[in-house]
Amino acid sequence: MLIEQAKEVLQIEAQSILGLMEQIGPTFSETVSIILRAKGRVILTGMGKSGLVARKISATLNSTGTKSFFLHPAEAIHGDLGMATPDDVVLAISNSGHTVEINKILPMLKQMEVKIISLTGGLDSPMAHQSDLVIDVGVEREACPLGLAPTASTTAALAMGDALAVVLLKSRHFSKKDFRRFHPGGSLGERLSLKIRDIMATDDHVPMVPMGTGIPQAIIEINEKKMGATVVVGRDHKLAGIVSDGDLRRALTRGDDIYLKNVEDIMSDVPKTIDEDATSAEAIALMELNAITHLIIVDTHQKVKGMVHLHDLLGREGFRVNGE
Amino acid sequence: MENNRAPRGLVVDLITPLKHGAIDGKGLERLLEQVIPHAQALLLASPRHGEGESMGLAMRRELLKKIGETLNGRPISLFVWISGNTEAQTRENILALQEDFEAGRHFWVDTPLAYHSNRGLSDYYRELQGMVKAPLILHNDPNCVHATRAFKRRNIRTAVLKELVQIEGIAGLIFSGSLERAHHYQRACRGRQDFRIYDGDEKRFLEHPSMGGVVSVGANLAPGAWEMITQSSIQLHAHRENYPDRLQQIWESGDYLKNMVALYGRTPTAMIKTILSDMNIIETPEMLQSAEIEADGVKALKTLMDDFD
Repeated sequence: MLIEQAKEVLQIEAQSILGLMEQIGPTFSETVSIILRAKGRVILTGMGKSGLVARKISATLNSTGTKSFFLHPAEAIHGDLGMATPDDVVLAISNSGHTVEINKILPMLKQMEVKIISLTGGLDSPMAHQSDLVIDVGVEREACPLGLAPTASTTAALAMGDALAVVLLKSRHFSKKDFRRFHPGGSLGERLSLKIRDIMATDDHVPMVPMGTGIPQAIIEINEKKMGATVVVGRDHKLAGIVSDGDLRRALTRGDDIYLKNVEDIMSDVPKTIDEDATSAEAIALMELNAITHLIIVDTHQKVKGMVHLHDLLGREGFRVNGE
Repeated sequence: MENNRAPRGLVVDLITPLKHGAIDGKGLERLLEQVIPHAQALLLASPRHGEGESMGLAMRRELLKKIGETLNGRPISLFVWISGNTEAQTRENILALQEDFEAGRHFWVDTPLAYHSNRGLSDYYRELQGMVKAPLILHNDPNCVHATRAFKRRNIRTAVLKELVQIEGIAGLIFSGSLERAHHYQRACRGRQDFRIYDGDEKRFLEHPSMGGVVSVGANLAPGAWEMITQSSIQLHAHRENYPDRLQQIWESGDYLKNMVALYGRTPTAMIKTILSDMNIIETPEMLQSAEIEADGVKALKTLMDDFD
């Protein structure tokens, strides 16, 4: 019985979203055009559950390249309306279109010449009448008895908001790189849990020169491998030191003629190492503690297995600023 | 047909007050006074609760005449059931009732499967549209199919409904049936934004309300509670007064109506008439075709109503 009831609710909500496919039309396209042309931000507004939906749509727009914020209709009356400018577009959400608080602020927004777009099922409501465009998010049936809480109607508004955000994203040619820029928290969190062995440079990708190598040759290696440093190895590929961009700068500052020197003359001979089973978070902590940007991974015999740069830990694609 | 748009909200499936085999005019007046302030529309002479299936044309005309006199221009929509046992009889009903009922906001309610199969239904309605002066509302109820002719189906086929929705003169549908069929029908009607689907099943409406509204026989007894629940369920005016006490009232009214529907379950018309008669609203619990009622059920229903008051 419980399962059947739950299935009924899901069926009703699914139907409410499917119903939107029939309702979507030129108004939607026009809404997209208006938002794309707008110089300002998209202001989402709604009360109660619709307010929560508005907040979510605003967050989705922000993370997909459309500047947006949520304006609480009640707070708007008490001064927050000053946040709106004529360059902005308002997306107002109310299933009935009779929400008093929203209908109070719309005339003021209209006076400011802000474009108003309603997401409502009340096509003949005061909110719809005050809007420049009305997107029909009406549903045929609610899943919750007695109208105690909006269910299918809020699901429909949320889905329409997602449709809008995705279409805007595609229209702006929003890329994976852009998305990562807006989601440092998400991608960073994911990367911080990665093991060093999964992200370290290995084999030929590790910049490496033997002891006795001249500095000009070391600079070529640093440039080719694009990690801002090169490992210096002794006999049997055992770790002997590291020459970083910083070491080169310091040598030049001292007035050394670096073209006449070998790597062992300027290298740091106690480079920091890390176990390949350590996490990125641990690596970053170690780098912060020692004010360095590279760590070297060695085996039990001190043979070099790999190297990791701070940018690899944070996400090279999103954060690398040089050496590309 | 100036305004084809049927109202959203509570449609009271009005029981027909009778006295000595005729319309009980005084009772009807009192009943209308009780329900009209709470409803958006009245369904008159409905096949079951309005006893339309057993009612001859003369009585329907008498009923409409008396209702017209009592309403005296008050703004409420009237849904009038006009189906006969055949196409010809249905046409005859419409033509006769149209004569009496020239003005006002009214809709003809037709149960096509009471006399017609799905085959050729859209052609039939296109033809009918030419002679009716008011919009039509379809009535689909698997329990109201032709009694003597074995039609293959007990419901309007979804594909047929999709065609019917294209007919401008058809303004809505009163639906009883499974939730799955309700979804199919809703899909079929999506092309028409002004098309209303009313729940013909009170219990269904109390669980998962259709945004068009409900056709309720229980509203004869508890019109205020039904009004509150309907308005809350379909957010007719987005009432927020007395919040959060209002939410509690809605919860209590909803429970009350669910219990009420469960109690009058099998013989709603007879039980409702008996209680309305005991309340001195209608003169007698008389019905066109007698039905046995359980005395315990009536008693329980009365107790429920007393307790709720």
